[in-house]
Amino acid sequence: MSHPKTPHVVDARYMEPPEPFVQTMEMLDTLKPGEKMLLLLFREPHPLYKVLKQNGHAYETELLADGTFEILIWR
Amino acid sequence: MQAMLAFQNAPPFAAPLRFFLTAPLFSLAAGLLLLAGGPDLLASRWTPGLLAATHLITVGFMLQVMLGALIQILPVVAGVNLGDPLRVARWLHAGLSAGALLLAGGFLLGQPAVLSAAALTLGMTIAAFLVVSGRALSGVPTTSPTIRGLKVALVGLAGAVGLGASLALAIAHGWTIPLPALTDLHVGWALGAWAGILLAAIAFVVVPMFQLTPGYPARPSWWFPRLMLGLMLAWALAVYLDSASAIRLIQALAALLGIAFLLLTLRLQMQRRRARADATYRYWQLGLGGAIFALVMMLTATVWPPLADLPGWSAFAGILLLVGGFMSFIIGMLYKIVPFLAWLHLQNQAKPAMPAPNMNKILPEMAMQHQMRAHAAALALLLAAAIQPQWLTRPAGAALALASGWLFFNLLGAALRYRLHLQKLDREAPAA
Repeated sequence: MSHPKTPHVVDARYMEPPEPFVQTMEMLDTLKPGEKMLLLLFREPHPLYKVLKQNGHAYETELLADGTFEILIWR
Repeated sequence: MQAMLAFQNAPPFAAPLRFFLTAPLFSLAAGLLLLAGGPDLLASRWTPGLLAATHLITVGFMLQVMLGALIQILPVVAGVNLGDPLRVARWLHAGLSAGALLLAGGFLLGQPAVLSAAALTLGMTIAAFLVVSGRALSGVPTTSPTIRGLKVALVGLAGAVGLGASLALAIAHGWTIPLPALTDLHVGWALGAWAGILLAAIAFVVVPMFQLTPGYPARPSWWFPRLMLGLMLAWALAVYLDSASAIRLIQALAALLGIAFLLLTLRLQMQRRRARADATYRYWQLGLGGAIFALVMMLTATVWPPLADLPGWSAFAGILLLVGGFMSFIIGMLYKIVPFLAWLHLQNQAKPAMPAPNMNKILPEMAMQHQMRAHAAALALLLAAAIQPQWLTRPAGAALALASGWLFFNLLGAALRYRLHLQKLDREAPAA
């Protein structure tokens, strides 16, 4: 799945925990320097935010009209 | 990894568990009260026994679980930590439990001193909780409808408990106040501004997550908490101005707002991608049906007020909303939270030779489904008792006590299996 913001997308909107977290961490491992990834969820993943901060990642979250949170993550 | 991650943020299991295990004992006590008091209890909404039973459910059961769960989920849904959650849990649980007992005792015994003690205990306990949680939440930016809902719900809790404590003190000391109008306002703040907004704020996260539904649309989710709180403030102003027509209009709008949220949740549930109907889903279906029916009754009574004076009308709507609606939502969530937390804490300490048991082993699905049938039967009997109190109040009380005892038994079973597994871990690998 691709997206205007980045081709690296995890659409975790209908996934059960812990899949969204596992798939996000797996994709982060494959990113090359300068690349960004996008996580789609119907909630804000505060525990993931904490880990991203600890690992030195930056993120930006946007809430869309249909209730999707788009979380853009980069290093 | 997810377990490790969530675990870093998770308060110890003992923090929320004490609330979850105590709460069913209060609804059990409400059932026993109906069993002992019989039909006289349902003679009007003002009988001491009914006031005691109602508060055993609202304060003893609902508030107990809601605050215990908040301690647990604030880090997950809002990124907020309460500092020392176990310490907060200890005094909050003690204050709430003592306050609920004193309140029920004060109503039943008609003792002003006991009622005053209840007002002070609950007032001070909730004030302290509001300080702790308000301080933690005030540092968090409002980045989601859930966080806004949590912040607004705390205002609702302050209003509900402030009004309740004032009413209890007024009754205890014989102050002259407009008792029916302020009692209705107290109910509105407790169930609309506090429990209703909190339910919505949590539902925005857990309904899509647990039941794999689409998300709640953003715009109405942002507006719901503020609209509901605004209506409750307007209601308070209308009481102050003594405007009966304004009060009715505001009650109708609040009921409509509640119905809109519940219908939206029902629609999302119909679009869910999880095929299996587990106990949580069924409990939520029951809760949605009960709460929508109750709010439609309230809406109808605002249009045609003589309806509310019909024998049993208020009791029927109240039972539908509390036992049918809120209790069902809460038990449905407990059945997800308790096995998950037990599993999470065990998973964190698991050894390769002794992995954590799966959640269905910790709290079997069949046990939850059977208990839900007992709860539904108790609800049906309670509703029938509202119409025919003479014959059915005692059986309905017995049924509520049974369903609550069963809930306690199920949750205790999960806690014991958790503990047993921990002990096994200690025994099997002491050196690890």
